[in-house]
Amino acid sequence: MRIVIVGGGIAAVYIANTLIQKSPQLEVLIVSDEKHPPYDRIHLCKLVEDCTCTDSIELELHPKVKLELNQKIVSIAPEEKRIFSQHAAFHYDKLIIATGSIPKTLFDISELSNAATFRSQRDCERIAQGINDKNVVIVGAGPIALELLDTLMRSSSPKSITLLVRKNYLYSEVISREALELIRGIFEVDKRVQIQFNDEIIDKEIVDGRITKVITKQREIKNPFLIFGVGIDPNIDFARHTLECAKGILVDDRMQTSDPDIYCVGEAAEVRHGGFIAGRVKECTLQADIAIANLLGDQDRVFRKEVAIDGLKVGSFLFADVSATDFNPKDSDNETILIAHKDRIDQYIVKNDRLKRFIGINTNIDLLAIKQLMEHDSVIDAAYLYSNRLMSESGRLVCSCEGVHEQELIDIIKENAITSFGELKEHTKAGRVCGRCKQDICTIISSTPVDPTEAARLRAEKVAMAQAAELEKVRARIEKYNRLHPKNQLSSENFHEALESYEMSREFNRWVSMITASMHLHPQFEEVVGESVVQLNKIPIIWLELSDCTGNSEAFIKTSHPKVDDLILKYISLDYHELLMAASGDQSESALESILHNDSEKFLLIVEGAVPLGMDGKFLRIGPKGETGVELLRRVSKKAAAIIAVGSCAYDGGVVAAEPNPTGAVGVSEALGREDIINLPGCPTNPINIVGTLLHYIMFDEFPKLDAHNRPEWAYGFRVHDNCERRGHYDAEEFVREWGDEGAKKGWCLFEMGCKGPYADLNCSLVKFNEGTSWPVQAGHGCFGCGQGKIAFDRYANNRKLEEKAND
Amino acid sequence: MTKKIIIDPITRIEGHLRLEVEVDENNIITEAWASGQLFRGIETILKGRDPRDSGLIAQRICGVCTNVHYRASISAVEAAYGIEIPDNAEIIRNLVTLSLFVQDHIVHYYHLHSLDFVDITSALNADCAKASHDAESWSQHPYRNSQGHLESVKEKLEGFVKAGRLGLFTNGYWGHSTYRFSPEENLIHMNHYLEALRIQRELSKAVAIFAGKTPHPQNLVVGGVTSVADMLNPQRLNDFLFIIKEVRDFIERAYIPDMVMLINAYRDSIKAGEGRTVGNFMCCGGYRFGKNRQLFENGVIRGHNFEHVEPFDPTKITEEASRSWYENDTPLSPYEGDTTPFYTDLNDDGSLKTEGKYTWVKAPRYDGDVMEVGPLARMIMGYVKHSAIIRPYMERFMKRSDMELLDFSTGLGRNAARAVEAQICCDYLFDTMSDLIENIKYYDETTWTKYVFEELPSEARGAGIFEVPRGVLGHFVRIEESKIANYQAVVPTTWNASPKGINQDRGAYEEALIGLQLSDPSAPLEVLRIVHSFDPCLACAVHVIDATKKELSHYKIMNTYSL
Repeated sequence: MRIVIVGGGIAAVYIANTLIQKSPQLEVLIVSDEKHPPYDRIHLCKLVEDCTCTDSIELELHPKVKLELNQKIVSIAPEEKRIFSQHAAFHYDKLIIATGSIPKTLFDISELSNAATFRSQRDCERIAQGINDKNVVIVGAGPIALELLDTLMRSSSPKSITLLVRKNYLYSEVISREALELIRGIFEVDKRVQIQFNDEIIDKEIVDGRITKVITKQREIKNPFLIFGVGIDPNIDFARHTLECAKGILVDDRMQTSDPDIYCVGEAAEVRHGGFIAGRVKECTLQADIAIANLLGDQDRVFRKEVAIDGLKVGSFLFADVSATDFNPKDSDNETILIAHKDRIDQYIVKNDRLKRFIGINTNIDLLAIKQLMEHDSVIDAAYLYSNRLMSESGRLVCSCEGVHEQELIDIIKENAITSFGELKEHTKAGRVCGRCKQDICTIISSTPVDPTEAARLRAEKVAMAQAAELEKVRARIEKYNRLHPKNQLSSENFHEALESYEMSREFNRWVSMITASMHLHPQFEEVVGESVVQLNKIPIIWLELSDCTGNSEAFIKTSHPKVDDLILKYISLDYHELLMAASGDQSESALESILHNDSEKFLLIVEGAVPLGMDGKFLRIGPKGETGVELLRRVSKKAAAIIAVGSCAYDGGVVAAEPNPTGAVGVSEALGREDIINLPGCPTNPINIVGTLLHYIMFDEFPKLDAHNRPEWAYGFRVHDNCERRGHYDAEEFVREWGDEGAKKGWCLFEMGCKGPYADLNCSLVKFNEGTSWPVQAGHGCFGCGQGKIAFDRYANNRKLEEKAND
Repeated sequence: MTKKIIIDPITRIEGHLRLEVEVDENNIITEAWASGQLFRGIETILKGRDPRDSGLIAQRICGVCTNVHYRASISAVEAAYGIEIPDNAEIIRNLVTLSLFVQDHIVHYYHLHSLDFVDITSALNADCAKASHDAESWSQHPYRNSQGHLESVKEKLEGFVKAGRLGLFTNGYWGHSTYRFSPEENLIHMNHYLEALRIQRELSKAVAIFAGKTPHPQNLVVGGVTSVADMLNPQRLNDFLFIIKEVRDFIERAYIPDMVMLINAYRDSIKAGEGRTVGNFMCCGGYRFGKNRQLFENGVIRGHNFEHVEPFDPTKITEEASRSWYENDTPLSPYEGDTTPFYTDLNDDGSLKTEGKYTWVKAPRYDGDVMEVGPLARMIMGYVKHSAIIRPYMERFMKRSDMELLDFSTGLGRNAARAVEAQICCDYLFDTMSDLIENIKYYDETTWTKYVFEELPSEARGAGIFEVPRGVLGHFVRIEESKIANYQAVVPTTWNASPKGINQDRGAYEEALIGLQLSDPSAPLEVLRIVHSFDPCLACAVHVIDATKKELSHYKIMNTYSL
């Protein structure tokens, strides 16, 4: 596909480079009316000072991008997909217009030798060559005019410089009086400079194509050189006949013009909704991104205005400007808060307690914090602005695109002994996004002395510190581990041998991956998870079965990923399980007694089943001495490091506590009167959730984040309904209405058949059962919220829609 | 001088089981008491509920054979209302239940029971070439039998030992005088032990294909099944078949030959009748397939009288509680059964009050007699009733192992009967699946029988009685005012672990232990062999206590886990 970009500025280059990067097979052509390759207009000032260094503001262009210079486009033929210059025609598949704008003048200056605008490289050449010993007149009050004034002040060529300001403000109409005076004072330190407010040109004398005299309302200026910095108009004349235009070429929020194959971005484009025309580089590149995304098929991205940050360094003052997207200078509700001190001024414009604009001069307020206040539309208290000056420890914000502050830059420069802008590239993108702060950064680089030896030392120090921190971490972990597991017998060496002996190394790795994924950990954690399984071997686990059906034990050891059962049996040290017990060698004491004695405070206690409290607990008696279930639980729990209640019965009594609860059954937490029991309800609990929780405990030496019912959020933070494979049918209102009907055959939603998925918090729909073979919804039955505890067995365990109780 | 031995806990069925036995001076068991130590009251909880909801609650009776309680409960309600389920629904229910049979039997033999006979330490001394050769005397095509593979199995076991992980396989029994296998035979068994881990996992997947998950499946409703989408998905059917195919291969080339090997090694125990009960067997039959065939025969045999088989009549079932911790002592029909607890406690030292009530398990009786249920009963019944399905399998096995019918009524024989049954069930799964495919082929996709609940009678009673892996299971429901008025479940273990009755007749566990001689009372391996032969599905810590109730010794069993 052939993409043609019309324009020769930052936006054109940005689009071309991005397109080639994203889609290298594209053919990209830039057509520019300039004689120079695309350059950075923001740095025109530098050009005026030093006309020979055009190269230094040239923009980097990907070598695959083709470039046609000196081709001023005059018309578009959308039907043929061609554009025409005076001499040539170019075919396109998609056209992107980024022609920017043309400067306004108050009268035609094309035939005059001593008048110029300030927009192109040619303008700069003319200015540089023409101002010598002239009375320079700059018309305008905005940032461009001020920047030019600042540049010319530094040149000895002009005899005098007059800034003609039609109204009575500089920079912006909202600027405070104090700020205005401050700026004015700074400029007028130069005796050649005169700023005239409320003045404008009313006449001129022209002799032989030269202006000999400019007459303003207030005075006459002879031997002038006139420069217009009064504003810009979209540069779109060539498109007016073919595309819908207002002030600029009209585009939708995907930057598409009235012709779907033609996009327009930047200063040439006018967003149809709201009439917004971009002015700042950041806005232009954002629009370029939207156009590129849409052109490459992503229809979802649309243009929205963003909070804009502008930084400007003019003469000896620093100018900072943050503007909210909905800032309206004419709004009568705007209030100004001004904090001025010597040559520093912070000006806040607030509307309805919300910050809308900030203009700072020589400020060190953290502009990113200001930006956030605007983005969040936070309510602010004026007192706050007075007492809390949002200062950044890292100094002023230099690069607003990348959010890099001055001190951070200095640190980078020092540590890496950077002496040029080019060397900075591999350390930060600052200065390389919109380019506005590039000069500023160059200045910082040149004013920061670097010592290569010192830089090397700093780097080494940093590496050493990182290593020391890492070592300290490892040491702390080892120390913690040894403290917790003083009796480790199995080294990891033996573990690998054991693994191999079961030919399950491969399955082991797969299993570890699965557990890692189901715990929502980054794949990087696989190693940690793997290690913790080794460790799991060493943590004694007591599994008590109380008033239960053995379903959780069955699930725990029977199912899940291939061979996980082998693993759990062989690699989790399930030292005591009333039904699975595997202790050895001890001929005189029961395994339980031995763990209670030797591993006191170290073992994990897993409890399955409800605790019957009725009849003094005698509905359940265990062991030759006839100990009741609750007595046994109390005795063992006292010495446990932590207790996990597995299954709905252990959670709150579950089915055993269903009405009328004949044995007075309760959950473990209630039986022990403790709030620190980890609950893993389910009927049965998916073994993935048991093992995952254990792994978390081993890995982090604490239990995962729990919800209000002490259930791990990683497993219980999902509504079954939200992640259900049949959810799409629910949304489409496609329901099974009768068992075995056509909907049932097609796997439609089971809500009408009493599925309680909307009332169940569990990850069944994500992990399924029996090696991912199926789950109750897939089997066409629907969920009954078995993990919700006894309420499931009293209200949900049926195939009818929940009847809401009157007061629910 | 008699000694009393308390073995507690035992069960992994429904709650906690205890055995107490008395031995004489020759270490021969003279009396035994089996006691259930947990009461949960699921039947009480079911009272007053909507009959359609009983299944989801009732299946929580047991997490091991969970599907069968689910099914029996739903079927009891269907029977009460006279709802006949579609052919496809019955087939899917059978596919799930029969898969459970096969899985249960394989897990029972290899992972719960085989290490009562297999000495793992001896396997480490095996000559792999000889083992590979020896295996051919038990099977024409032994399962995974190359010398190289056996070497790798041996290596695995050695790796285990080296890694310090013998733990799972260690108990005090290695070298026990009653281990009979040669090192090579031990190695062959261990090879299959490891393979069976994989096989049973596959079977769990087969169950989940039609039942959503296991344990506690979720695919049944009154009137049929819900997994119609799985039924109509050829890939699901295919997955199921291929799992069963793989399992069948294992049974024919490993399980059956291993069983013949076991019978040969312990023929003296069989001939001595160790583990024999009084010989009352009860079967309810069932599992229809094809046009009019059914897998299991029903009938009742008393006192090993194989000549006389009575037809099974569920109305002759009663439950009594004279020795159980319930109020009403008189024998009652399960429909009227009462489960109001009347707990008389244990003795102060924690032992059973063996003269009075001593268990939460009721004493079910058939026509007044204690009964043994399970694979043994089913295989004998099929044989004596000339079942065209069962008898050929039995004859083949009897010929191969040189057994007579009475030999099956022993501890070892129960295992043999279970192996033959696993083989039959596995083959039958193919026939059942063929029926399903035929139905779908001719556009019968019905999986549910429509009914309007409000139009059903408000008063009804019904029973769901099934053969399940461990024996006859019955759920009995009585409905009044469209609610469950009474509910009773008589599970296989209620029969086999029954306490003594009103006339002092012992339950099957108790009876099977009488007369058994222990070679070493501190390591009663013989007791475990008999108890395990009933498939109590347990691993336990056993406490041996002398007559003065002082603990003699304690040991753990190494066949400690089921997968």
